[in-house]
Amino acid sequence: MAESAPASPTPSRLPRRRSRSAEAEADRLREGQTEELGRRAVELSRFYAGKIETVPKVPVRSLHDFSLWYTPGVAEVSRAIHRAPELSFELTGRWNTVAIVTDGSRVLGLGDIGPRAALPVMEGKALLFKFLGGVDAIPVPIAVNSPDAFLATAEAIAPAFGGINLEDIASPKCFGILEELAKRVEIPVWHDDQLGTAAATVAGLLNALEVTGRTVREARTVLLGAGAANLATARLLLALGHEPGRLTLVDQHGVLHAERDDVDELSVRHPWKYRLALRTNGGGRSGGLAQAVEGADVVIAASTPVPGTLRPEHVHAMAPHPIVFALANPEPEIWPDVARAAGAAVVATGRSDFANQVNNSLVFPAVFRGVLDARSKGMPDEIVLAAAHELAGGARRKGLTAQHILPTMQESDVFPHVAAAVADAAVRLGLARVRLTHDEFLDRARQRMARPARLVRALARSHLTQPMPRSRPARRPA
Amino acid sequence: MSPTASPPPSADASGPPVHVRPARESDVGAIVPLLLRLKRLNEEFDPLLKVRDDAEPHAAEIVRAQLADPKAVVLVAEGSGTDREKVVGFVRASLRERPFYTPQLEGVIVDIYLLPLYRRRGGGEYLLREVTGALKAKGAGVVTAEFPAQNEIAVRFYAKRGFRPVTSIHARPL
Repeated sequence: MAESAPASPTPSRLPRRRSRSAEAEADRLREGQTEELGRRAVELSRFYAGKIETVPKVPVRSLHDFSLWYTPGVAEVSRAIHRAPELSFELTGRWNTVAIVTDGSRVLGLGDIGPRAALPVMEGKALLFKFLGGVDAIPVPIAVNSPDAFLATAEAIAPAFGGINLEDIASPKCFGILEELAKRVEIPVWHDDQLGTAAATVAGLLNALEVTGRTVREARTVLLGAGAANLATARLLLALGHEPGRLTLVDQHGVLHAERDDVDELSVRHPWKYRLALRTNGGGRSGGLAQAVEGADVVIAASTPVPGTLRPEHVHAMAPHPIVFALANPEPEIWPDVARAAGAAVVATGRSDFANQVNNSLVFPAVFRGVLDARSKGMPDEIVLAAAHELAGGARRKGLTAQHILPTMQESDVFPHVAAAVADAAVRLGLARVRLTHDEFLDRARQRMARPARLVRALARSHLTQPMPRSRPARRPA
Repeated sequence: MSPTASPPPSADASGPPVHVRPARESDVGAIVPLLLRLKRLNEEFDPLLKVRDDAEPHAAEIVRAQLADPKAVVLVAEGSGTDREKVVGFVRASLRERPFYTPQLEGVIVDIYLLPLYRRRGGGEYLLREVTGALKAKGAGVVTAEFPAQNEIAVRFYAKRGFRPVTSIHARPL
């Protein structure tokens, strides 16, 4: 699933039924819209010359105050931290600051475009971090040419940050980088393309299973696509008690199993996939998607977007009342109305214009709010699962139906609860530097998550941010 | 892709999941795909180990010849339980003269392979023990193993069992 910005203000929850030509027309329209949005984004990026800036958060009454905020006063603050390094979380903004680190090796669907070209995306991510989570996020695209260099750099900058968000790093190196960096630093490390998507997926799946009267333990699940998101989803599902034998992964070479021709190659190049090849697929299935989906309760497709990857006959072949997650963006592996017509009981996509959007933005701002508020020393899977459970609970409190298995981006009152659940988990796991009650964490999260919207409005009202200029019409050929 | 994958052996299996015995003529068909898997694995470690298109017929020919060669040892590992009589691994070794050094006869392990599901449970060790015994019985005074220099898993496997690097082969393409 590609990252998607907060949903449009009025997402339709109605199933869409369209003829093929209407569909083609809609596609053309969407393409036109995407093109227009791109043109406008370039125009605005030029106008504002970037999307974020740093602003002092203390009063500066006169230049005399500089002697408090800077030298000589600040020297005593440094001395204090030098004596007790943990004070860096109390006497500086470290506690609320996250580095968005990328090597630009897999940016959106654009591929390996490098750190400079990745910067606008990281600025956008920083904006979402602040606006949705109240988190100060600093884009740090780095020019490195090996995972070791990446790790050394990320480790070296850790003292300035309360957390590290890895972004847009190619698979499979992203797995090793996340695992290893998490061991090296005493702050939470998150790779959004793995964990953000996986946590949202698992949250939606927990509710989809509930709606269809199933449990994780009984489910037979097919994961289509074995990239960052689905491999993390597999790991989380296994941690939740999903029977390994009842999980089957399918990638471009077909069903992943222990005797597949490329399995030795995987043992060298992709140990994470290799380990899953050995553990999963208990029935000894082989072949392709068609063989994998036979009798499955759940399909989670997070593949390279090729429309029609999942076909009605695949859905037909599944168990009664199947669950279909088609998360490719912008075009899901199967359109929701097609999946439902083929018998799907619950359908989720990565898009905001259909019901049940599996969206990273439901997760990462709240997860970071939570770990930062607890000043957590890490981000184990237990924390990720706590977020997923709370997100699922949030959707249930609002009324669980097949069309509402996840909160929408508008149901933002859920997010502080996710943050508090995350902070609670950090406390429970002994990782929290700050130990508060659930209600205290919830209060803090609410305040800290609400402030940025007020800030942005206030800056706009006082014309400290310039109003958005009118769009110049696109130049058309004469 | 293989036509049917095997289900994982039962999780409660204890001890080596395999049974090792000398290979027979009738095993050649089962050994060749495993041998090719091993060679393709080696390909991962160095471009000079790129597998030839005609590797398969050669493999069959070589294994067959070695089965008839008193200076060679070919053993197979069979699965247990539902995989009984299924060949899941093999080892291939041959005796080499050492005209200048002592001991005079060296048993060289050229291939050792076990399907992934049967690894890490003593099966590899069992194969190694059996082939070492067979080589010793044929008069070898030292046992050696050949594998790609970059294969760290192999380095660790052998080091743990008392092997140390003795000679190195360094290559430069021409």
